[in-house]
Order: sequence, then structure tokens, then C-alpha cells
Amino acid sequence: MLKEMFQVFKKRKQKPLSMQQQLVGEQTELKEQSISSDLEENFQTLKKLFHIPKNNDVKVRELYIEGLNKKACLLFISTISDVKSIEENILKPLLTNKSGKEIKEIVSIQAVTEIHLFKDAVKNLNQGNTVLLIDGCSQGFAMDCPNFQGRTIEKPNTEILIKGPKEAFIEKVDVNISLVRKKIKDENLVVESIDVGARSKSEVYILYIDDLANDKLVENIKNRLNRLDVNSIQNLSLLEEYIEERSYSLFPSILSTERPDRAATFLEDGYIVLLMDNSPDCLVLPATFWSFFHSPEDHYLRFLYGNFTRALRMAAMFITVFTSAIYIAITAYHSEMIPSELMLAIAASREKVPFPAVVEILMMEFAFELIREAGLRVPSPIGPTIGIVGALILGQAAVQANIISPIVIIVSALSGLSSFAVSDISLNFAVRLIRFVFIICAAFMGMYGMTAFFVAGVYYMVSIKSYGVPYLAPMSPSYKSSSDTMFRRLLRNEKFRPGFLKPSDLQKKQ
Amino acid sequence: MKQNKGTIGIKEYIALVILTVGAKLSDDTPAILFENAKNAGWIAVALIGLLSVLPILFMLKVFSVHREKNLHEIILHLFGKFIGNIVSVLLLFGGVFALIVDSGISTDIISSFYFTKTPPIIVYSILMMVCAYGAKRGFEHIGTAAWLLLPYVKITLFIVLLFSFGGGTFGFIYPLWGEGMLPIIKTVAKDMSIYADFLYIGLVAPLVTSFKVLKKGTIWALAIVTFEICIAMVAFVMLFDYTTAEMLAYPFHETIRYIHIGFLSNVETFFFPFWLVATFIRFSFYLYLSATLLGGILKIKEFEYLIPLLTTIVILLGAAPESPSITLSAARKMNFQLLTPAFFVLPPLMWILAKIRGDFKNETA
Repeated sequence: MLKEMFQVFKKRKQKPLSMQQQLVGEQTELKEQSISSDLEENFQTLKKLFHIPKNNDVKVRELYIEGLNKKACLLFISTISDVKSIEENILKPLLTNKSGKEIKEIVSIQAVTEIHLFKDAVKNLNQGNTVLLIDGCSQGFAMDCPNFQGRTIEKPNTEILIKGPKEAFIEKVDVNISLVRKKIKDENLVVESIDVGARSKSEVYILYIDDLANDKLVENIKNRLNRLDVNSIQNLSLLEEYIEERSYSLFPSILSTERPDRAATFLEDGYIVLLMDNSPDCLVLPATFWSFFHSPEDHYLRFLYGNFTRALRMAAMFITVFTSAIYIAITAYHSEMIPSELMLAIAASREKVPFPAVVEILMMEFAFELIREAGLRVPSPIGPTIGIVGALILGQAAVQANIISPIVIIVSALSGLSSFAVSDISLNFAVRLIRFVFIICAAFMGMYGMTAFFVAGVYYMVSIKSYGVPYLAPMSPSYKSSSDTMFRRLLRNEKFRPGFLKPSDLQKKQ
Repeated sequence: MKQNKGTIGIKEYIALVILTVGAKLSDDTPAILFENAKNAGWIAVALIGLLSVLPILFMLKVFSVHREKNLHEIILHLFGKFIGNIVSVLLLFGGVFALIVDSGISTDIISSFYFTKTPPIIVYSILMMVCAYGAKRGFEHIGTAAWLLLPYVKITLFIVLLFSFGGGTFGFIYPLWGEGMLPIIKTVAKDMSIYADFLYIGLVAPLVTSFKVLKKGTIWALAIVTFEICIAMVAFVMLFDYTTAEMLAYPFHETIRYIHIGFLSNVETFFFPFWLVATFIRFSFYLYLSATLLGGILKIKEFEYLIPLLTTIVILLGAAPESPSITLSAARKMNFQLLTPAFFVLPPLMWILAKIRGDFKNETA
């Protein structure tokens, strides 16, 4: 037995092969070769790499450049490149040119790069660029002309504001960067890119303002991204789980937003923003509890209105978490607390209901979550039907059938409705899940159980960190900052960038 | 698991001390003070507060020259290894005993006032488990949690006091000196150790950001806590008169049962969670302090791992006594009387020893 255990141990100890070495059918060796001066040979290699002619949309155009007196070959993937531009700016000048000028001077494309390895040729082609190979020339030319299809900029769908900019990120990263740059016209805004995914090479863009963001933080995030050893990561929502801290925790540690204005505000405070193709949102890190709790509208609205919204949101959060639990605690353990008339009313309404309060509440809360989930997935033409069915069946009919008492409907509707006021989806889920734990605590030990869990939760919350930043900073532990936590201050008094990020320049304004 | 290396700032420090020491107004401390001093209990508290300034100043003076050492290390340094360890072990016994008795009393409050049908051992286990979790998270996080929750605890306390003043009779605080000076002095001499916590706080002195913060924070906390307990004692006397207040084991909980707010006639369940929050934080801190001291004596660096052990001991011993409200209260009185000399004598003694050893010579300020 010991031997077996040893073997298991040994197996564990064996270093897993890096993803790069394991890739089957990736023709890594071919890719590492450098481009030769023989056009036919180069052409054959690329043909092998791109599975031509099996691959339908990889186009090859052979041509003769008169000015250079050489044969050449043009490769591109027609579905992801701008075919018109290729025709106008590459093919035509090449075919009509009679002088002996350099290639770079013939074509009228904005960026032309020389490539020497097949690896680069492949990468360029996959990015929608065109590659030109010339006979007798041991280098190729990659010409910028990508044209990926996608939707145009639209209004935000999840973070809806009444006042403030109405643009949202889309699936094209160039557009997203442009949206951010439009808001921060600063040469120090750096857009770095890192490749993730060994097979499908997706680029993750790291945005930060160079003289503001903390260098160590940027380095830390770059390291995390570089360490990823996976085949492919399609978008940011998937990337989030790879780089977040505490994947099992209820509390999110990275903020995701679809609003470029919000991303820009975070950037200017010294945070770091990640962008990626195929993601209509960005990731902001590090994130504190307050960044999930806030909405950009709090600052767009006037001081008092914005703070009123914040107070409402905080109240909504507490209602969501505690209402159902308090109802159970009071009816089951502390019934002396309710005024006697109300207690009689509750007792009368519960008289015919056979279940204990906790079962009733759990049923209703579960039903509410069901309606919510189903309402989200349902095709839009029958959407309203769900509402009617839900309200009718779960509301009135359940009461008439003596399954639920009317007051439980009020309680769970209140907590369900309030949960919508927490706009950030991650925090929203966290709050909704915590609600169930509190319900169970209240069912077991009333107020005592709830308080015990609450205090344990506070201990947990103050001890967790997101990329080295305490979760409840700057409220406690306190840092020099604009104290934009529960309530915001007047804009002219928000003088400091958040100190917990250790930005190079703390002062925002005088 | 190196989560305890963080330091805490002045806000967190004051909040922690206020919650820890201030929570005494809600257990049987007032009853113990009323016993001798009668309705002048609040004067006794004020005197204790004033008198405590002395040992605390002596202690701070000693700490000012040993900024990176905690109480145990200073004791070892001043008394030598052998005697120092004996002193620390005695302190540890006092501290753990206080932890056991105080947590037992809190359990008794919960199970006799609010959860009469639940077995006390379950109430006790939940209480100590949450505290153990908090203590394991580390000093920094207990402080942070204290600061976050302090406003709610104190606002509700303020409401309670406001309503009990409203419902009380002002005349009950006369005669001002109760039965005369002598009983008051007797109370002060016996029960001065209600502030012995300040001595134990020395165990975490190096974890406070700076000595300035420690000094300022300790003195402020002492002032606030004394004021708070004084006011609460006055409120209890005004509400119940001293004959009743003396009889009540837990005046604070009787108070929140007694008062009513508007149309709500039973509001104790509203105040109960806030009192609980303070209780949880208080015992988390006590547990942490005990673990630090035990770890120091046994030379265990990773003393967080002692917390589960201590918690188990506390639950087993604290749940053992029959009729806890009498047994534990008597034990508490005894502990007060034993700790008082320690609290009053140890700091000056430390100061004298430091003076003899010439520790103050290199003082910069």
C-alpha cells in the first residue's frame, strides 16, 4: 500500500507538460521555420498550415509584379479582411506599378510590416491582415486590412442610466479602446497587449495611466495573465474566473462594466482596466465592495439626488438580505415584538396554512427566483405572459389555496423587488444568495443566529482582499481618499485618488 | 495564514477598546458596583476611571521605550525569564478566567432573556465559534470590524439611554454620595479591575500603528468608556432606583425590556442584535489576547492555532456551572478583586524596574 501511495505521490510530483508542448496537430515546427527565398516552397508551407484548398475562405492570389520583375503571392482570409481595400490599395498598385520601387512604397496601406517567420505570417493572417510573399525575397510583408464583422455601438443594456453618456462597449476591442481614449485624451494612457491562449491567440489589452497606476499592481496583473496556460479564452467573462481571487467566495473581486465612461473614471483614479475582443464589457481591478455598490449616476446626478439614490440602494440591499429572515425570526422566536393587533392579524392569516413560516418563505423566495430566471430566458414575444402567470398563480392562487399566507407574499415581494436596486450583477447574486443563508439562520436561531452569521460575515468581509486592496477600503482600514463610500462628497471636495491603490499621484485637484 | 501582521489605526483602536470595555455596562458589572456603592455607583465608576489613569500612564511610559515589544515581552525583559513567566502565567489565568466568566454570563443573558428553550450549550458554542473565527482572522480585522459596527451599536445604546432617561425619575440619584464616601471607596478598591482590560491591551501594543496612536487612543478610549458607563449607571438608577437596580443581575437587559418606544411596547429584540454585535467583538478580542499571551509564554509563533484549543476550554469550563447567574457572578466578583491589585500595582512596578534598569535613558522625547 505504501508503494501505491508513493506512486500516486510521484505522479503528482511530475511536472505537467506546458500547454505549448502538448498541442497536438498544431504543426509548431512548421511555424517556427523562417520564410525562405523560394516562393513555391513558402507557398506550400502556408498551404499546409492553412489547409488550403480545404479551407474555403483562405484566398490566394498569385500575381506578377512587373516593376520588380518577380512573381508574388498574396494571401488573406476573405471573411475577416477588407476585400475592397485589398483590391484598391494592394492589388491595383502592385499590378499597375512599373517602376522598381520598394514594396512599402507601392502599396497604399497604412501599416506594412516585414515578417521573417511563418509564425508571424500565421498570426497576421488570423488577425485579418494580408500577407504578401515575393519570389527571391526571404521576408514577407504583412499589410493591415482587417475587417471583422460586428454590431455597432449601442446603448448599455444592463447599466441603464437616465442622466449621463449612453454609449456601451461592443464586441470589437478597437472600438472599445477608441471609446475610452475619447474620454481620456492623455498620452500617458497605455494600452498594452498580452496574448493568452495557446491555440486561439486572443489578445488581452491592459489599460492604465502610466504615471498614475501603481507599477507593482500592473506587474502583478501582467504576471497573472502571462502565467495562464490554457488553449483558449474567448472573452473577459471567462478570463475573470482565471484571474480572480477566491473563486469559491460569494463576494466578487473584479468589477465588470459595460460603460466606457465608468471605465475611464476608474482609469483616472489609478485602477487598471482589461479589454478583450468579443467582450462587450471591461474588467476593472482591483475592486472593492464600494465599486460594486456605486453607480456612475451617483456622480452625474446633483449632490443630494445622487446621495438619495445611494441611500435607497443601501436600504434596498438591507431589505433584500434581511426582510425574509427577520419575518421568520420574529414570527418564530420573538413574537412579543410585534404589536398585538398585528400579531393577531398575522396569526389569523396563517391559521389555515399548514406550513411553518420558513417553508412558506423559502417556497416564495424560490418561486420568485424562478420567475426571475425564466423571465430572463424567455423569448421576448411571450415575456409578458410569464409575468401574468407568475403574479396570478404564485400570488393570488397560492393564497386562496392556503399554501401561502398573504403577508409572506408582501415580505418576499419586497425583498425580491429590492434586489433589483442592486445594479451590479455580481453583487446582486451575492446579495440574493446571502439572503437564503440568513433565512436558514433565522429559522434555526432567530435573531441570535442572524447576528452570529452577520458578525462572522463582517469578519470575513473585512479580511478579504482584491489584489492586495482590503475589500471595505477606504472605510476601514482607512486610507487617504475622497471617502467615496456609502455617500459621495461634493465633487470639488473629492480631492484624492483612492490611497489603497497607492497611486503615484494622490492629489486629483486642489 | 499570516493575516495578523497588519497594524490598526487610531479609529479602529478606539472603536475596539470602546466596544470591548464599554460592553461591561450591559452585563452584571453595574450590579456588582451597585452592591456597595448603592445609587452612587456612577461616582464609583468615575473615580475608577480617574484612578485608572495612573497605572495606564505608567504602562504607557514603559511602552514608550519598548515600542516593538508587547506586554509579555516587556514583562520578560523587566522581571527576567523566570519571574516574568510566572507573572505572565498569572496574568494569563486572570485573563482566561475573565474570558470564561464573562462569556458564560453573556450566554446566561442570551439564554435566560431571549432563548429560554434553547440549550445554553448551543448558545455558548455559537457565541464562541463566531468569536474564534473572528480571533483567527486576526487583530487587524477585529479592529476593522469594530470600527465598522461601532456606530450602530452606539446609536442604539444612545436611544436606549435617551428613553430610559425619559422614563426615569431624576430624584432617584439623590443622595448623591449614596451611603457615604466609605462604601464608594470600598467599591473602587475592590472593583477597579473593570478596567484591567487596559492592562491586557498592552499585549497588542506593537500592532497599533504608532506609539502616539496608542497613547492618544488609550486615553481617549478610557475617557469615553468611563463617561458611557457613568451615564448608563445613572440611567439605571433613575429608571429602577437603587434598591431594584441592586437586585437586578443584568440591568441593561431589564432596561431594554422596560422601555417602550411609541407604539412598540416590546423593543428588546430590536436592541438585542446590536448588543450581540458588541459581545461578539468583545470576546473575539479577549480570545485573541489570551491566545497571544499563551503563545508568548509557550513560545509559539503561530499562536492563531491556539485559538480553537482555547475556545474549546472556554466552552467546556464556561458551560459547566449550574445556575450561572449566581455562580459566575460570584466568580466574577472574586476575579475582580484578584485582578485589581494586579492592575494597580503591576504597571508602576514595571515602571520602577524600567527606571532601575535604565531603560528611560535612551529616551528621545
